Amino acid sequence: MKVASPARRFGPLRIVTVLVIATMVAAACGSSRKTGGSSTSGPSGTGGSSSVIDTSSCPAGNDSVGVNGDTITIGTSLPLSGTYAAFKAILQGEEAYFSYLNSTGGVDVGGKKYKINLVSKDDAYDASKTVTNVQSLINDSKVFSLFNVVGTKNNLGIRNMVNTQCVPDLLIASGAIQWGNTKYPWMLGSELVPYPLEMRAFVNYLKEKKPNATIALLKANDDFGQSYQESLQSLIKGTNLKIVQTQSYDSEGADVNSQVTSLAATHADAFVVGATLLACPAALNAMGSAGWHPITYMSGTCVSKLLFAAGGANSNNVFSVTPLLDPADPANNSNAAMQLYKTNMKKYQSSADATDGIVAYGWTTGALFAAILHASPSATRSAVMETARTLKPLSDVGLQLPGSTWSTSANDWFLGEDFRLIQYNVSQGHTNFIGPLIDDSGKAGPLSPTSLLNG
Amino acid sequence: MALFFTQLMNGIGNGAVYASLALALVLIFRTTGILNFAQGEMALYSTYLVWFFASHHVAVWLAILIAMAISFVGGSLIERVVIRPVEKASPLVLVIVTIGMFLALNSITQVQFGSDAEQLPRAYPSKTWLPAHVQISADTLVLVGVLILECLLLYFLLQRTRLGLAVRAVASNPESSSLLGIPVGTMLMLGWALAATLGALAGAIAVPASQPALTAASMQEVLVFAFAAAALGGFDSTIGAVVGGIIVGVAQSLTTQYIKSLSDMVIVVPFALILLVLLVRPSGLFGTQRVERV
Repeated sequence: MKVASPARRFGPLRIVTVLVIATMVAAACGSSRKTGGSSTSGPSGTGGSSSVIDTSSCPAGNDSVGVNGDTITIGTSLPLSGTYAAFKAILQGEEAYFSYLNSTGGVDVGGKKYKINLVSKDDAYDASKTVTNVQSLINDSKVFSLFNVVGTKNNLGIRNMVNTQCVPDLLIASGAIQWGNTKYPWMLGSELVPYPLEMRAFVNYLKEKKPNATIALLKANDDFGQSYQESLQSLIKGTNLKIVQTQSYDSEGADVNSQVTSLAATHADAFVVGATLLACPAALNAMGSAGWHPITYMSGTCVSKLLFAAGGANSNNVFSVTPLLDPADPANNSNAAMQLYKTNMKKYQSSADATDGIVAYGWTTGALFAAILHASPSATRSAVMETARTLKPLSDVGLQLPGSTWSTSANDWFLGEDFRLIQYNVSQGHTNFIGPLIDDSGKAGPLSPTSLLNG
Repeated sequence: MALFFTQLMNGIGNGAVYASLALALVLIFRTTGILNFAQGEMALYSTYLVWFFASHHVAVWLAILIAMAISFVGGSLIERVVIRPVEKASPLVLVIVTIGMFLALNSITQVQFGSDAEQLPRAYPSKTWLPAHVQISADTLVLVGVLILECLLLYFLLQRTRLGLAVRAVASNPESSSLLGIPVGTMLMLGWALAATLGALAGAIAVPASQPALTAASMQEVLVFAFAAAALGGFDSTIGAVVGGIIVGVAQSLTTQYIKSLSDMVIVVPFALILLVLLVRPSGLFGTQRVERV
């Protein structure tokens, strides 16, 4: 009884002390997440109850898969054949970046250097092939993470797989906002501008220049096109802008002639091309043939020298957005990052066209991946995913726009929220900035239609 | 009304492409009784040849003529090397062989020419006229013009020359033709060679007119529509191929315009047409009905 009595006497004090300490720790963790500070703040930022990433239901031994000695193997699936084969240029940029990175000894993660081994598979933009490819990458190639898998429906197809198996699906090549759905924490979009922000920038431009404009919309008949349509519809509410006609086309092909003919007949003031790759110049050509000259906006996924060239004279003055420097603009040649990019493209991927924006995107996405790894306290899946989800502001990554930053936080899972509105000039052969840098940090989620965000 | 006529012109332009490829399908079916599922990919390979020569500073029209000549030789080689060993096999085997050729040719094209989207130069300037707000493009006029030229040349060759007579005789009855001393094998090779040549011309003109770039997938949808055209017109009728092609093209275009729910699924149109023809008139609008004495 004598032994037990002091414990009873100090019991309440101990409980209060523990509670106070627990509250302080929780507050510290909370503030750390708010400022995105967990990325390099050591192991305290990963795992456990303070994490964005819950690893409690992950398979045993999951965390270290894909790391062998000083090599981290990652995998990607993208169209290398078929109608969307031009996206092969992304891989050329990525491979050049990783070759360059490996030549410098690799990326430093938690004090140890790792080389990157990228395994790529062709899915011809077919979502079912993406599923097969990703199964093979996870089960056979034992990749650490997926990297820059191309396409909205393609990543939606693997969403359950990567989330139940706790495999990071990092830097998804799609600006759809579904990657901000908190039910799927193992996914993160790339630096591509989220489609609602693209639409916001264009709607703001229209509101200023032609507040009563009528809009014609062409959209792909998939989740990609749906993102543009729903964002546009919600953004023009309460304005004098009006969608006069929407036409959709089969995303498996690029034949949009009849659809654009029909849109042209509306004589709308503005034309939004919610399409990607070859359908973009096809839409511009059909628009030109119809003698229709609206203020035209084309998806950020179409920003490519090849695609603008395929649109010929019809590409002149077409608007879009970009988070990157245009490698086709000679004014950027003096930029050190551009010089590094062009030198290494020549060295490691000489057959690629380094002045193509799609190649530049691949290079930058590779650099962004390395930056996330570097910010991670250790080379484990959960630590890297946690870092990616709570990323401290990054600048000067690859060909990132000067002055812009990319970051995420527990409340904001979108990276590419800093960007600029651009306009293509045919005679110059490159894009020009329209207006200043747009900092839409934290706006992609709140602006997105809930049905899309959580869909 | 101007919009209706514009879509009609769009449809005629697309239909001319389908008709050109359908003509090639009919030619092979008439001479060898085979449905050539590889026809689109044969045209794809030929079109890449045009791009290859044009990108090596050969004038486009000359590049098309060279590609047509190579396709003529290639078509006869395909008949001699791939088809003839299995010509007596069951129809199912022949279907599998042509589907195999489809896959092989697509892969060979990508291996040889790469899988990048390539810009195929035009053989004529791009221009659009807008009389009474109806959009008429140079593409439509050229596509229709090339189709008419193909029809005239085929008519002249098959109906007005001894060679054409021999081809028709072999198509009609190979055994009797052989007894008459007509070299059946050579005539069959000629049928494939002509089909490959027609495909080359169709691809080289159609791709710059309707697609922003040449890719390994450029001919796949076109082949589906061409099959619908041939089935609609009758697989053994050249006139049927032309009429079928135009009907399919116009139906596709008007569906996009007037049936909004199908505007992104126009592929339904050829399937519906094939189904309708098979149910109502299995030999097609212009096809010959087989009569068998029992």
